[in-house]
Amino acid sequence: MILVPTHVPEAFVSMYLPSIYAALIVGFIATMAIASKRREIHILILTDVVGFAMIMVVAAVGTDLAEALILPGLVVELAEIMAISEILLSREMHKIEANPHKKLKKSDSLLPMPFDFDLEIMHTSPNFIALLLIAYGIFLTGFTGGAVAGAGLIIYILSRKARGLPAITIAGLGGVSGISWCLWIIGFALLFLVPGYWLIGLLLAACGLLLKVASKIGLIGAIMKEDIDRE
Amino acid sequence: MIDVQLFFYFGIFLTIIGSLATAWGPGVNDPVVRVFNAEVASIGVSIILLSYNHVLALLTLVAASIIMSLILFRAIIRLEEMGADV
Repeated sequence: MILVPTHVPEAFVSMYLPSIYAALIVGFIATMAIASKRREIHILILTDVVGFAMIMVVAAVGTDLAEALILPGLVVELAEIMAISEILLSREMHKIEANPHKKLKKSDSLLPMPFDFDLEIMHTSPNFIALLLIAYGIFLTGFTGGAVAGAGLIIYILSRKARGLPAITIAGLGGVSGISWCLWIIGFALLFLVPGYWLIGLLLAACGLLLKVASKIGLIGAIMKEDIDRE
Repeated sequence: MIDVQLFFYFGIFLTIIGSLATAWGPGVNDPVVRVFNAEVASIGVSIILLSYNHVLALLTLVAASIIMSLILFRAIIRLEEMGADV
């Protein structure tokens, strides 16, 4: 027997089983392919497909809560792929450095051409645009606000001459991330423990999510900046 | 009027075909081809989310899959320039 809440539309209920079976098939195909591969970068790409199966299982429920649960799933998957690709790169680098017959070239970057044009607008406008975007993001709060504020951070980092990123900045962004998780958890717990204070719980969770997403997107901008600065 | 179910089953079809192509499709020994095939599966999941009316999840999936493919391309390019076995 399957317990279905009354507010789930009839169409979504009939779509539940096909979606679950399709997700199982996709997950099976991807894990079989992972099991038969030896090279790590291929396994990393196939992990992406396993993530799609996970999203389909969550989406099959069809409620608003399921939609809300897809967002952190996607963000966690993104962070995981970022971290594993960095680990993979540094491991290969160590392997090649240990081999005396191979020379490690220094010129590796995302862009095929050096990216060093110097426009007037890159010196004058970023302060204003970044401030505007961050202020609007703080006004929006929540996931969307985090994305808008993060876009402001990316514009600032990409166009200013912030070459490299000191270790203290990365540690600071990690600290902000931790504080924002605490805010989010406290807000979420308040919703259940003292439902009368739902507004402050909601605001705490929204501000936590804002800080979290903005700092994540800012980190992605820092990585891209390192790539672009290399000549 | 086109039925929503049609979109839903088309999304499932695209996702399964895309994951099959990512796993054993033509030319997947090149990691770049594999990333492109994974994009087909991501479009299928987008259509499924669209038929469920999950707008926010759909927008996040589109943004996240773009960033994911950028990260994967960066990793592939760096590995190839290092001369690693990809």
